[in-house]
Amino acid sequence: MRKTLLLLALGLQPLCAEQLLTYDNRPLGKADEPLIMSTYLPDPGLDAAVFAHHHNSGPAPKYNPTKGEDVPGEEKPIAAVAAAYAVSFGPALAYTFDSTECRPLYAWQGGFLDMTSYWGDQQRGSRVSFDYIPRLVGNMFYKTSGKHPVSIGGKNVDELGGPSYVGYKLEKGVPRFQFKAGGHLVSIMIKPSTKEQSYEAEVTCDPPAPLAWKEDGVSAEGNGKLSFTYSGKTLASYQGYKVKIDLRKANAQAGEQLFNNYGCIACHSLDGSKGHGPSVGGLADSMVELEGEGVKPVKADREYLLESIKTPNAKIVKGYPPNYMPPFGIPDVEYDSLVMFIQSLAKPE
Amino acid sequence: MKTEKHTDQPSITRMSTRLVVASLALFTCLASAADFDDCYKIEDIKLPDGVPPEVGGIDFAPDGSFFVVLRRGDVLKASPSNDAKGFDWHLFATGFHNGCGIDAVSPTKIRITQMADMIEVEDTDKDGKADSYTRFASGWGLSGNYHETNTLTKDGKGGYFLSIGTASHAGPTFEHVLGEYSAFGRRGRNYSSVKWKGWILHADAQGNVTPVASGFRMANGIYTDPDGNLWSGDNQGDWKAITPLYFVEKGHFYGHPSSLNWDPAWAGKDPMLTFRNDMDAYNKARTKAVVELPNKEINRSAGEPMELPRNGSFGPFAGQLLIPDNNGERISRVMLEKVNGHFQGAVTQFIQNHGLRSGNHRLRFSPDGKQLYVGQTVRGWGTPAEGLQRITWKGGVPFDIESFKITKKGFKLTFTKDLPDKLTDKKSWDFSSFTVQPKWTYGSDNENERKHEVTDFKVTGKRSVEVELQDFVAGKIYRLDLPKDLKSADDKSPLQNRLAFYTANELPK
Repeated sequence: MRKTLLLLALGLQPLCAEQLLTYDNRPLGKADEPLIMSTYLPDPGLDAAVFAHHHNSGPAPKYNPTKGEDVPGEEKPIAAVAAAYAVSFGPALAYTFDSTECRPLYAWQGGFLDMTSYWGDQQRGSRVSFDYIPRLVGNMFYKTSGKHPVSIGGKNVDELGGPSYVGYKLEKGVPRFQFKAGGHLVSIMIKPSTKEQSYEAEVTCDPPAPLAWKEDGVSAEGNGKLSFTYSGKTLASYQGYKVKIDLRKANAQAGEQLFNNYGCIACHSLDGSKGHGPSVGGLADSMVELEGEGVKPVKADREYLLESIKTPNAKIVKGYPPNYMPPFGIPDVEYDSLVMFIQSLAKPE
Repeated sequence: MKTEKHTDQPSITRMSTRLVVASLALFTCLASAADFDDCYKIEDIKLPDGVPPEVGGIDFAPDGSFFVVLRRGDVLKASPSNDAKGFDWHLFATGFHNGCGIDAVSPTKIRITQMADMIEVEDTDKDGKADSYTRFASGWGLSGNYHETNTLTKDGKGGYFLSIGTASHAGPTFEHVLGEYSAFGRRGRNYSSVKWKGWILHADAQGNVTPVASGFRMANGIYTDPDGNLWSGDNQGDWKAITPLYFVEKGHFYGHPSSLNWDPAWAGKDPMLTFRNDMDAYNKARTKAVVELPNKEINRSAGEPMELPRNGSFGPFAGQLLIPDNNGERISRVMLEKVNGHFQGAVTQFIQNHGLRSGNHRLRFSPDGKQLYVGQTVRGWGTPAEGLQRITWKGGVPFDIESFKITKKGFKLTFTKDLPDKLTDKKSWDFSSFTVQPKWTYGSDNENERKHEVTDFKVTGKRSVEVELQDFVAGKIYRLDLPKDLKSADDKSPLQNRLAFYTANELPK
């Protein structure tokens, strides 16, 4: 829950009697005070037509930073939404409005977002390396498809040159999104409905003209203004972010997942290339030179690897600064798994 | 501002009795020794309970109200209080994706750069909370990578310079991206697969965006000084040897090739491979740093530069540039000069440790110029170091290098206080040099390291010396190591920093 900060101690000035984003990774708005967030968002299988004004990326050749060259293999892009607003009215309604396509993308009930993978955990920090898109929480009942739902004067927004995002205004806290199309200023306001799995929408255009909203399951018309209630049924259920790592006993595979989840990979490469920290590729059982005059090299055995993760400043590898890596304070089975993963890495070519 | 007027400052009252007595007995006509704590106070500014102090940006509005944009999306506002724990924070706005640049236009209007665009936020009904969020500027892409944060500095004409961060190989791109996509630009360690990543852009007062300069890896902090000069840091990595400070000029390329995928002159060509295969062409094409900040010794990752007030409201070193270290408990101090018409200069530390947190990346002086606010965040990098601190000048003057200038054959240095005997001895002066070469791999080792004997030495004043060095040539970074345990001759103040580096791009003609 998004916490309301109350007066905690007598004699102190009240801080804020407001909704603030806190370390709670499951923020939630209120019916009378919706929460608006701008963040990367999941793509729950939207059809390609919805992304009409985005550009397509593609698989990129794998690049080896040590060699400075492409190497065999490819990096695949992931499905997600780059620049949409997510709005939460509490459990009653959540929806997203895309600022490029200028349309709502999907709506759900019973929760909002789980930001753990993106914001990280308060104690452990760190976003999840390649899997940081926030997760949905709740039951999705609306998902848009096809071309833009709005037509003005009988012409679809795309026939009018496409939408151009303007912004949003808050009306008693509720956002009214605005965009321009064909010389009109169009606004869309979405609110919770008293019906289940529903939302209410109000759409206007200025200067006024015949206005229509058409997509799967909805058809509404008006002159300069229209409104409708969308009712759907559960399309999918989401439970937020769950770490699925088998840690019944230490294992290298879990170690690899932890290595990515804790963001180790951001500083420690797997291929021997230099980064903010030493590479772990080929590290196991090699001789490591250390900082400090007259300090002898040490063998990177299990004991050394474990110490380097648990107390990163005990020994500093030559050429690297001290006090850079945080001690993570994780369970022993996780330390052991990380060590096993590092030991499993072959020496780079 | 070069005079020391600290006889009537409160710092004196904090002096240890023993020292005061000693100085009274021995140097009754002189000021007392000033250690760090007599010069500066560092305080933690408390945000509301439970709020992660991941500071994306800070700014003062013209009326003195203070705004903080936090990376999760909230913008808090307060009237600064003498009590660092007693700020009257309230929520002004929310809903920004990694807002890392902020301009407080007025107490009710701010502009913020977030990942996809720049938003103007206004409290139109004056109830204390923003109700209007409109796009002010856009035109750069967004690939979905976590690393593509942006920041701003005012251009002095109602517009802004914007620094657009690159993506990192430690994260993905999305299938559907904002703006055109470049497959060439997608490759490399830090990359520019969508428009203007690795560029500094200009947005005019109406929000119209045009490109200014390319070749940045992650210029997390740009700054326009009172003369209108544009400064930018960057950080070590691919195509960045060590931490640079750049003087940014229109049309220049600052060394990271991925950004060139968006330069029409490179259409259809692969800048990364071209330069990898021809380092001579690369070195000719790039504009070098005016000052290099060695990573380990000085600054691991440059935040937003900021000039010390020229009127001396913050004490000594007026007009010099501060560079916060985003990955160290330090703020570096740059001493610039113009040589043959070009900026270059020296760097040492301003503050190292003394309770300063790591994560330093945003700096603002309070409107009276007497306090320096420091915004900190590293989320996802290194030891968690998030927060907001404030540094107050207490009136003391630290014993330190005040200026470090180049001559045809060496350097002339001036200190803030009288030279101890040891520094009037040529043998105490230890100079060495090295070079660095940015390339496709991460960072650069020091190359061509060597010592330089002092061939001629002159004490030119109570606080200044001139040295001539053996084999003194341009194109090197000169390192000065000062001896341990030095105290100024006049008031026995301990020397604060023993290490300084001068980037000698040119020798005076």
